[in-house]
Amino acid sequence: MSSDFDDELVQDFIVEAGEIHEQLSEQLVDLEHHPDDMELLNAIFRGFHTIKGGAGFLNFGNLVDVCHRAEDVFNLLRQGDRSVDPAMMDAFLKVVDLLGTHFEEIQEGDDLTAPDPALLKFLEQLSQPGGMESTSVSVEAPPVIEAKSSVSGLSAEGPDELSDDEFEGLLDSLHGEGPIAGIQESTPAALSSSSAADNASMDQMTEAEFEGLLDQLHGDDPVGENVEEAEATSSEVVDVEADIAVLDEPVAAEEDSAGSSAISNDEFEALLGELQMTSAQQHDLPIAASLSVESTMPPPVAMPAGGGLADKPSGGGAATGAAGAGAGGGGGGGGGGGAGAGGGGGKKKKSAGSGRGESTVRVDTRRLDEIMNLVGELVLVRNRLSTLKTDMGDDDASRAIANLDHVTTDLQNAVMETRMQPIKKVFGRFPRVVRDLARTLHKEVALELVGEETDLDKNLVEALADPLVHLVRNAVDHGIEAPDVRVAAGKARGGRIVLSAEQEGDHILLTITDDGAGMDADVLRRKAVEKGLMDMESAGQMDDRSAFALIFMPGFSTKQEISDVSGRGVGMDVVKNNIMRLNGSVEVDSYYGKGSTISIRVPLTLAILPTLMVAVGDRSYAIPLASVIEIFNLEDAQLNVLDGQTMVRTRGKALPMFYLRNLFTTLTESDPAQQRVVIVEVGSKKVGFVVDQVNGQEEVVIKPLGTLLHGMAGYAGATITGDGRIALILDIPSLMDLHA
Amino acid sequence: MAEEKSLSDITAQNSATRQWVTFRLDNETYGIGVLRVREVLRMTDITPVPGAPASVEGIINLRGVVVTIVDGRRHFSLSPKAVDQDTRIIIVDLDDESMVGIVVDSVSVVVDLADTDIDLVSGVGSDDSSKYIHGVANRNDDLLILIDLDKLFDKSDLSIEGSDDLF
Repeated sequence: MSSDFDDELVQDFIVEAGEIHEQLSEQLVDLEHHPDDMELLNAIFRGFHTIKGGAGFLNFGNLVDVCHRAEDVFNLLRQGDRSVDPAMMDAFLKVVDLLGTHFEEIQEGDDLTAPDPALLKFLEQLSQPGGMESTSVSVEAPPVIEAKSSVSGLSAEGPDELSDDEFEGLLDSLHGEGPIAGIQESTPAALSSSSAADNASMDQMTEAEFEGLLDQLHGDDPVGENVEEAEATSSEVVDVEADIAVLDEPVAAEEDSAGSSAISNDEFEALLGELQMTSAQQHDLPIAASLSVESTMPPPVAMPAGGGLADKPSGGGAATGAAGAGAGGGGGGGGGGGAGAGGGGGKKKKSAGSGRGESTVRVDTRRLDEIMNLVGELVLVRNRLSTLKTDMGDDDASRAIANLDHVTTDLQNAVMETRMQPIKKVFGRFPRVVRDLARTLHKEVALELVGEETDLDKNLVEALADPLVHLVRNAVDHGIEAPDVRVAAGKARGGRIVLSAEQEGDHILLTITDDGAGMDADVLRRKAVEKGLMDMESAGQMDDRSAFALIFMPGFSTKQEISDVSGRGVGMDVVKNNIMRLNGSVEVDSYYGKGSTISIRVPLTLAILPTLMVAVGDRSYAIPLASVIEIFNLEDAQLNVLDGQTMVRTRGKALPMFYLRNLFTTLTESDPAQQRVVIVEVGSKKVGFVVDQVNGQEEVVIKPLGTLLHGMAGYAGATITGDGRIALILDIPSLMDLHA
Repeated sequence: MAEEKSLSDITAQNSATRQWVTFRLDNETYGIGVLRVREVLRMTDITPVPGAPASVEGIINLRGVVVTIVDGRRHFSLSPKAVDQDTRIIIVDLDDESMVGIVVDSVSVVVDLADTDIDLVSGVGSDDSSKYIHGVANRNDDLLILIDLDKLFDKSDLSIEGSDDLF
């Protein structure tokens, strides 16, 4: 019993920590591009902190150790005592990888790998503020605080609870100009409540304050902590005489600490005037400013903050006052309360809003799969009834069945939607992939993601992950040139890869575009000839598009795969096969010297497929309708034999033709009058298959072939037809590969 | 010489009794652990899958699930036999949560066997089928050959033949 409970705890931990972990990778890469983004720093810090907490509770020592070290370093980062550099980033990414390993080990019930001592040591070193740059940063250097990031938490809302001593201490530690700007921004941020309350970059918050801030972020104490934080920051801010502009600039933003001010001087003066206590004033001012500046803070909240400032904080001395100011509404005073309340209200509103919008239930995907299966069964039964309907001739029954038809279709769609996930889940891992690869290859690559919110069936999302990763790696590896080469060619030093997803009716269109070297169709043609894939003549006749498509042929690429793609058997041909298996298609277009675009189209749903039902012998087979482009009578067909291969002529072209009855070793006789030639197309290849009968269209549920047959070439699965029998669903691409 | 471990050496604690579903193929009686047997069906229409490995008869629709059916005789390298009234399909669970059906000549009783009654054998016989044998037991003068299902359907042994000859 207790072990069940434990298991559940562990499972929950893994699920939640897993989600945080997923985001961490993305956030870290993002951080590298925006090293001073306070929100990011805080979010990452929180991530490690949360995982550490859970791990500690469950006694995963090694996990706790590594998270703790990372957390320490991030603490410094948020305080502005250090800034991110590539080496540090590499260490962090290693930590993230280690976490991934740990999670797997936890799942398996194995012991956790001990973290590499060198890594721990490196992190420890990083977390010593003793670093030269750190001191300067926190003290003199303005830069640390990120304008927008500061937004965080300083929420200053609510009555401050900073003791006088702490306040004095904060005041004392205030130094540089920069901080003010930052702080200001941060305070408003605090108001907005969302933030990580981390104006910190400038601050040297105490651990307690930080914890408090965290708690606040987690909703425990919306006000108190923030106030402290606010104070902390404000104290720093206070001393700085730098322009503080913000007061009426709601957006904390971009300013860089150094003197970028949030409050305008006037506002600052105004605020100063209102405050009784000098230090408080100083503190308040920035805070107020920050409050108003609050980028994320809704204006109303900012207002009260300003108003609050007016109310002299009554609570305890300077500290209180400062706190009030920081709190965005005056400490103790009504204004502070107001601001605090405003901030708190804003915060509450925010969470309420999110509460409304995000009521979710965690469902095991297996259950969803079961439901999908059952709906699939329902669709088949409906099909059966539809078939019977025509025979029945009973009006009432017919009407009822027609109704059933509608409802089933709706149910089908609704269930499909439960399984939809934004493609963001897959896109999330790309920034890291690109970053790591670009670093290894010494190239500069910027990755842009478009259409992350596009929804796909969960299975599709998972199935596309590997092919997409491979294609993106390819773009970085073979597409984007080295910086010097690019500059020499008159291009920007850094290459750009755009990964986009959009819905095209019942398809999803994914494109990977790079502004790299592009492909030379002639080179490809020559290579094809060299590799014996075709002769000179056919190569010459191939149009550019087809030439580009050559890269998907097995064994075509000559470049060494330097990146780590081992163990997955990935190659462009595998990518293509994987996509084909999803009933999708992939195409390449390229401009030599300018770049290439790879387009992948996959149908939105995997499980239900419109097909053409045909008979070969006395068995039924289903051909995915998407591949069928033409059907005509065999009797009327014009046939030739070329090199032993029967060819059929249609629309000015001669295509290879195969008798399915021969392929399927059919014994029964066929009626020539009924035989049809079905022309199918996959990519740019067309082939004709002769079937004994064409029985019309039917929407079928794909059932995977069972044990021992899974993955068999030629079949995409099986289905139960309207008459209760099994029809094999043909996989046209692999069927074609076996011949053409 | 076949190595035989006598279970009499095994400690008393291991004298659990297990149940085995027995079936006949040719003149031999085989057994499968009852916990792995899902159901027993009468012979039904099996849809052939052109290009599948030789011992695969085809597939059937089992209440909405497509199940692969294997010909027990061919799997044990026995000559095929016409289907009759006694022919049955035993649906078993494999350890990867999938199912497979085995066509057998007939299914008989479920027997109880103490583990101590079972002689674990290894390397008996020269052909591959001996790999699938978990052990043998004596029961009423009949030799009962107990099957190790997972080894019987070990995927690495039954690679999907390239359909070269077919297509």
